[in-house]
Amino acid sequence: MSATTPSGDFRTSYREDMTIFPTRNSRIALWAGLALLLASPLLLGRYELGLLINIGIMGIAALGLNILVGFTGQISIGHAAFFGFGAFASAWLHEGWHIPVAFCIPLAGLMTALVGLVFGAPAARLKGLYLAIATLAAQFILEDFFARAQWFTGGVAGRITEPFALGGWVADREETYLYVVVAYVVVMFLGAANLMRTRDGRALVAVRDHYLSAEVMGINLAYYRTLSFGIASFYAGIGGALYAHYLLFVSVEAFNILFSIQFLGMVIIGGLGSIMGSLMGAAFMVLLPEVVQAGADLLAGGAIDRALKLGASISFLREMAVGAAIILFLLFEPDGLAHRWRLIKAYWKLYPYSH
Amino acid sequence: MRMRRIMLGLTAVAALALPAVAQQRIPVGHLMDNSGATSDVGVPYGQGVADTLAWVNASRNGIAGRPLNVLSFDYGYQAPRAVSQYQAWSRERVVAIQGWGTADTEALVRFVTRDRIPFISGSYSAALTDAGGKSGRQGVEAAPYNFFYGPSYSDALRAMLRWAADDWKAKGGQGRPKYVHMGGNHPYPNSPKAAGEALAAELGFEVLPAIVFALTPGDYTAQCLTLKSQGANYAYLGNTAGSNISVLRACQTAGVQVQFLGNVWGMDENAMKAAGAAANGVVFPVRTAVVWGQQAPGMATLQQISRVSDPAGTAYRPVHYLAGACAAMLMVEAMETATANNGQITGERIRDGFYAKQNWVPRGFDGVCNPSTFTADDHRGTLRVGLYRAVVSGDTSQGSVADLMRAGTMKLEPVTTIELERRRELLGW
Repeated sequence: MSATTPSGDFRTSYREDMTIFPTRNSRIALWAGLALLLASPLLLGRYELGLLINIGIMGIAALGLNILVGFTGQISIGHAAFFGFGAFASAWLHEGWHIPVAFCIPLAGLMTALVGLVFGAPAARLKGLYLAIATLAAQFILEDFFARAQWFTGGVAGRITEPFALGGWVADREETYLYVVVAYVVVMFLGAANLMRTRDGRALVAVRDHYLSAEVMGINLAYYRTLSFGIASFYAGIGGALYAHYLLFVSVEAFNILFSIQFLGMVIIGGLGSIMGSLMGAAFMVLLPEVVQAGADLLAGGAIDRALKLGASISFLREMAVGAAIILFLLFEPDGLAHRWRLIKAYWKLYPYSH
Repeated sequence: MRMRRIMLGLTAVAALALPAVAQQRIPVGHLMDNSGATSDVGVPYGQGVADTLAWVNASRNGIAGRPLNVLSFDYGYQAPRAVSQYQAWSRERVVAIQGWGTADTEALVRFVTRDRIPFISGSYSAALTDAGGKSGRQGVEAAPYNFFYGPSYSDALRAMLRWAADDWKAKGGQGRPKYVHMGGNHPYPNSPKAAGEALAAELGFEVLPAIVFALTPGDYTAQCLTLKSQGANYAYLGNTAGSNISVLRACQTAGVQVQFLGNVWGMDENAMKAAGAAANGVVFPVRTAVVWGQQAPGMATLQQISRVSDPAGTAYRPVHYLAGACAAMLMVEAMETATANNGQITGERIRDGFYAKQNWVPRGFDGVCNPSTFTADDHRGTLRVGLYRAVVSGDTSQGSVADLMRAGTMKLEPVTTIELERRRELLGW
């Protein structure tokens, strides 16, 4: 095992071909990064940890959508509704059935997967725009369900949830909850990476690349398209459940169509069909508003603010900047952050002979 | 000689250090809705709070010589965003928060109780008044750090219903009057629904099924036609001004004859201008003793505050601006009480500052802010509800709100003041 990939890619076994982290350096970087992440509660404040937790949670849900959109070539504009279903399901399982939160989270994922299979059923027959509208229906049906199902969601007032607890250990602050999220991120991302190396994973990609050829090769289109919805919903459900026990409050307001579009934004910005890209896209979408907000705070009361008489409208800057960033990204970086990251790595690897 | 040098050195160090201590600013959070569903009333209220806190810094040199560091955030009426912002603020160690909506305030109750951060909300949900958590009502938990200025939504509605019952008799109405609750399916309009319907039934109203309309402006002709076909006599508008305007206008077009009872956020001078003659006759609670343009000893202070964001001094300030100023001043004075006897400004001491005075009117705000009384287990600051009627007697499309109020085209006319009894069993409801 060498530190870097040798020029000319010589892989002599399937095992070598399948490896996720091909070089020694990438493994060192992985372990160092993980160690740094686990040490971060000692180094960072609650705010920064909160951002990391959010990135992790959104990353898991975005990965689910990426499996559906990036790997299977389907479309969903109802992802936030499944995310919300996971959040409410976990809160409900704990409150109604007194199941420990640690078990509620995976159970909520499974429940959401079932709901996803139901709403994914049209995917067996629909494609493109038609499928998009079908998933839009899922968004509205679920949203309305959240607002009315008092027994399940607490109605429009929302539901207060309990912090994550395992044995005597309670993760009710950022410093501790980060470990829960990191554990889930590792498991879910490894799961997805491995899924893509199996027959089923390759089948999903085949469906995306050319569904007719896939069918000719003996892939059951209806089965794999619906399965993909189930997997995506499972990831959304896990993300939602983690979100519920982090914020300690779930309310229907959060899971609107805009949030669904944001998930699509994460996947596109991160890179369609890239596992790591999902996490990068989530990081981008979580950090961008914070950066813009910090910029707006700097502007507020300053010379530019006074000159342009921005006043209260400065808060709109945040919304506008987020929109602008997405447009710019689509224009200049259509392959996403994952692609840019590969280019950066290649640049340093080939330096100074990049041409 | 040596001693003198040491003394001199110590004095020099103290002289350098003192300003640093004095300048240490007090972090305070300010959650606003400037862009969301309730921004129509959130903007003037938020402006009132912001101006008042800036004025306290400028004219009173903050709290005991320490200026306030107000951290404002526009959360767009999205409860989850408020919750995550709350967590971001914990980094700044805010000692108190000026809040806004019902959904987010109720969601944050547990957090502010855990972190001991007094939270002065723009939500007057009765669920926030049960400070000791002794009411035993379902869904109501102890809210020892939640405060607000004014009567709760439920109490304001109870007062309006009492007025409506008298009004029905005075008008010589035959039979049982019909009452209907209108509003979005959202924690804020829902908050006083059960309490209002219960009292209405008790007072002999026939309670009709509630009518739902969204918090955002839209076409509500269907709702008005329902109102008409049901023959409602008194209708409560639970939303904020923006969507209520749509209802008022649609009902005027549909020719609905009904007495509207506005929520405290449901009507103001801007809404009167926008709705025009359709707003004529709406009865709603006003939280201050006077409205802009009227005379009171405290109005001079209010005019100074207004100049913070309007140096020309010409702006007309709607009722919510005044309420925002009073709410901010309660917090400021509670902080001042906390600093008495060289006390630290901690959440707990600020909370106790709210209990320090009976019939509490902030200094310099006499005749503007109504007296409030908070006790350790009852956070119903006041049970006195001043009811006003919006009177629109002409075309409001020309001229500014200030002009229209000055010309008398639009008027806020006092109707009555209802004093409710402080009944223990109604705490938290």
